[in-house]
Amino acid sequence: MPDPDELRALGKRLDEVRRQKEPRPQQAPPSSLGIAGRFATEFVVAVAFGGGLGWLLGRVFGHAPIFIVVMFVLGAAAGIRNVMRAAAELNARSAGGGPAVSQDDDEET
Amino acid sequence: MQSPMEQFTIRPLLESNVEHHFHKHDFIFTNQSLWMCIVVGAASLFLTLAVARPQLVPGRMQSMAELAYEFVANMIRSAAGEDGMIFFPFVFTIFVFVLFSNFFGLLPGAFTVTSQIAVTFALACLVIATVIVTGFVVHGLGFLKLFVPHAPWYLLILLVPIELISFFTRPISLSVRLFANMLAGHTMLKVFASFVIALGTAGGVFTAISIAPMFLIVAISALEILVAFLQAYVFAILTCIYLNEALHLHDQH
Repeated sequence: MPDPDELRALGKRLDEVRRQKEPRPQQAPPSSLGIAGRFATEFVVAVAFGGGLGWLLGRVFGHAPIFIVVMFVLGAAAGIRNVMRAAAELNARSAGGGPAVSQDDDEET
Repeated sequence: MQSPMEQFTIRPLLESNVEHHFHKHDFIFTNQSLWMCIVVGAASLFLTLAVARPQLVPGRMQSMAELAYEFVANMIRSAAGEDGMIFFPFVFTIFVFVLFSNFFGLLPGAFTVTSQIAVTFALACLVIATVIVTGFVVHGLGFLKLFVPHAPWYLLILLVPIELISFFTRPISLSVRLFANMLAGHTMLKVFASFVIALGTAGGVFTAISIAPMFLIVAISALEILVAFLQAYVFAILTCIYLNEALHLHDQH
């Protein structure tokens, strides 16, 4: 019967070796054109989605222009939020290691 | 001369009208369906053959398949953590399908499946549906916290709709990015190719410079190969990032 302490030490050493051997995620940072394209789609799509939703709501609840105005502004805000989130993801990825931190809510509030 | 957008037309290849109880179904097998079958068939064939007779020292096919496995596995581990690996089959399937569609689309005369927004949007909806289901299964109603940022309550009235819109634009931006990239690349190739013909038949000095857009096409083709891979990668990594959010919510605090 092997000594449990010895086994635990062996386990610890194995863990260490495993951690060292773990393939480091190696990802080239995306090209600037790719980043620009990403940010542009994130923003434009959100604005279009907000505007479209407002237009749809206006159609359903009579043609009150308030819906499209409010939803367009909210869509633009969501677009900025998307771009900030995408930037945070890129930062987390270029910093490397660990699951990408999707967002940091404390900074902007 | 054909329009550069002509390559994206969907044409029926086989048609049959099936009378089914009360509804009349039009079953139409289009060039789109054909190329989807080709893509799925080629991907399945390649991966099956690659691991049919596995060897310790992998051959060419086997090492390509292993490379693809390692690539996707590393991507999931780095973006969604170790517990994201349960989604490996899902992400790998999406990655391989998009990658093969993009590459098959580059063959002369081929139809690019991913240049149709119907296809990319269906894929993106599948991803978001998986994210939503995962979120509710893992966290229950706590998943809704994803839409509630840390802020005073009077700001939440404004912030929650913004977060909701931001969440629901994801399938759109995911699908539009892939579709627009493939559409733009293939259109660009056709436009420059038409320059070669137009200049070449113009005579005189124009014929001599018609070689210039030709070189440009070579360069753009190389770029398109890169884009084909990059867009498949982006689609897969964003899937992982969204799944990570569904699995871990705001874990980092």
